[in-house]
Amino acid sequence: MSARSFARTPWQRRSLAGLLGLVILAPAFAWAAGQTGYAEPMGNAAALAGAASEAVPTSISLFSGYALPGLGPHAGTLGGAFLGTLLTLTLALGLGRLLAAGR
Amino acid sequence: MHTPDGFLHPWMAGAFLLLAGAVLAVAAMRARDSLTEYRIQLFAVVAAAVFAAQMLNWPIPGGTSAHFVGGAFAAIVLGPHLGALAVALVVAVQALVFGDGGALALGANIWNMAIVQAYVGYAVYATLADRNELLAIVASGWIGVTAAAASAGLQLGVSPGFTGEFFAVVAVMTVGHFILGIGEGVLTLAGVRLLDHAGVESEQLQPEGIRA
Repeated sequence: MSARSFARTPWQRRSLAGLLGLVILAPAFAWAAGQTGYAEPMGNAAALAGAASEAVPTSISLFSGYALPGLGPHAGTLGGAFLGTLLTLTLALGLGRLLAAGR
Repeated sequence: MHTPDGFLHPWMAGAFLLLAGAVLAVAAMRARDSLTEYRIQLFAVVAAAVFAAQMLNWPIPGGTSAHFVGGAFAAIVLGPHLGALAVALVVAVQALVFGDGGALALGANIWNMAIVQAYVGYAVYATLADRNELLAIVASGWIGVTAAAASAGLQLGVSPGFTGEFFAVVAVMTVGHFILGIGEGVLTLAGVRLLDHAGVESEQLQPEGIRA
């Protein structure tokens, strides 16, 4: 399915515009998170238990974070958000088709 | 909410990988009969929206940050089975492409964020929707994310790195997300309403669940 055929009806066009809006917001939130340095509750729980250093980076992932390498933090995060959203959209379409074909 | 590798004992990571795989297999079998072309496209849009929304990490005054998880949102819009599959796909992309959440811990993360949140959230929604749908949507996101956090806290609490801190870890995870979960509930409502405004509800058939 091409992007053009996906954006045929009003709900599809509005949904894609909404996704684009979320992607564009990602660098601003990443910047804010970097400024505050706040951790999620799991990070706080790990710090409380002295287990924060037990975390092991995932070595098999394609990238080591949401910011794509070589683009700088803001453009890299924007690129990561765009890539991840597009990849998820595409994989979900494929998975949905696969499931429908298997019934 | 994303458990990294190294926190869980390997046997537990393996057990949750098998458990999550089994539940998702059943979910896929249950969901596939309802898959029209329209629902496949909606499934893709919801999964992509959950991915994009999870990238928005909100700094919370007091020193904590939180992001939308989206399991209840996906379950309300798509039904619990397809909703769980959508969030599971997001969690897999986050771990395997961007290194957010461990590869070994993938099953535990899918269990918490996709399965527990989607099914608990949907159960809350289905219970309350006839009385007050707005309240049902907010409560679905709120209680769903608290249940997911409690599940993650229990997993961490019995893990070797957290020895002796079981109650503290479960409390930090559960109470922390119970408070932050109000935001999850509000964002779940916003997401459902935005999809309504996008024209989804007026165009969709509703073969599964209350809304989806």
